[in-house]
Amino acid sequence: MTHTALIIAAALAVPAAAGAQAVNDAQIASIVVTANQVDIDAGKLAAQRASKPEVKQFGQLMVTDHTGVNKAAVDLVTKLKVTPQDNPTSQSLKAGGDKNIANLKSLSGAAFDKAYVDQEVAYHTAVLDAVDKTLIPNASNAELKALLVKVRPAFVAHLEHAKQIQASLGGAQK
Amino acid sequence: MTPAWRRGAVIALWAIVVAAAAGAGAMLARAPKPVTHTVTIDGTSYKPARLAVHVGDTVVWENKDIIPHTATGKGGAFDSKMLATGATFRFTVKTKGGTDYACLYHPTMTGRIEAE
Repeated sequence: MTHTALIIAAALAVPAAAGAQAVNDAQIASIVVTANQVDIDAGKLAAQRASKPEVKQFGQLMVTDHTGVNKAAVDLVTKLKVTPQDNPTSQSLKAGGDKNIANLKSLSGAAFDKAYVDQEVAYHTAVLDAVDKTLIPNASNAELKALLVKVRPAFVAHLEHAKQIQASLGGAQK
Repeated sequence: MTPAWRRGAVIALWAIVVAAAAGAGAMLARAPKPVTHTVTIDGTSYKPARLAVHVGDTVVWENKDIIPHTATGKGGAFDSKMLATGATFRFTVKTKGGTDYACLYHPTMTGRIEAE
């Protein structure tokens, strides 16, 4: 796992590790939007810079899917009149995402592909953990909870897809 | 007296005629009116994931999810290509048997059509 992946995983793991630490719906909205945006930014870079076609396509898929999820999230919170509220988790996610982009920009070729795909595996593992342990259990609005439940299988598919590509590239980075 | 081989041939011929007539009758009796089935795509899954149909029926996939998907048959039986949110794809079943299909973008998303 890359250094940046660890940072992002740690950012998402903080509330989970604290057990029943409550996050409110406004904070959940911020975490969802930030988490999606972080993956959209990395996906855009991969769609441009990745060397293997399957990595480029995966990057484009992440842009498409996470943009779709973010649109639905923003539409919902607008309807619910919830203003996303910055919080330690969303701030760490943003910082981790920025570091990841900076790291990826320093790489090219096979090294870029490997770093990006390893990051995507770690990121989606951490996101699923956060969705299951923190976001869904704490969401109080039924529609917000339903949206999280609805998008969860897409994240599972992304993780499986990323793992397949990781295996084809020669396994996880030690 | 009729040779045994001729009697055998006549019996065999009759058997074929009777079997064909029975088969045609059964086909006429069994051929149901074509039906349109809907498979809803939502939450990165096909609902229902398994669908029993008859040859001649039409299957319509409707993407109610917030992200694009495909319904792509194994072996090139059919391919919806990218279905954006709200898009539909129709496929009329022409052959008997089972066809597995999946989403090209989300390999965990699978379905099956059983046609008889």
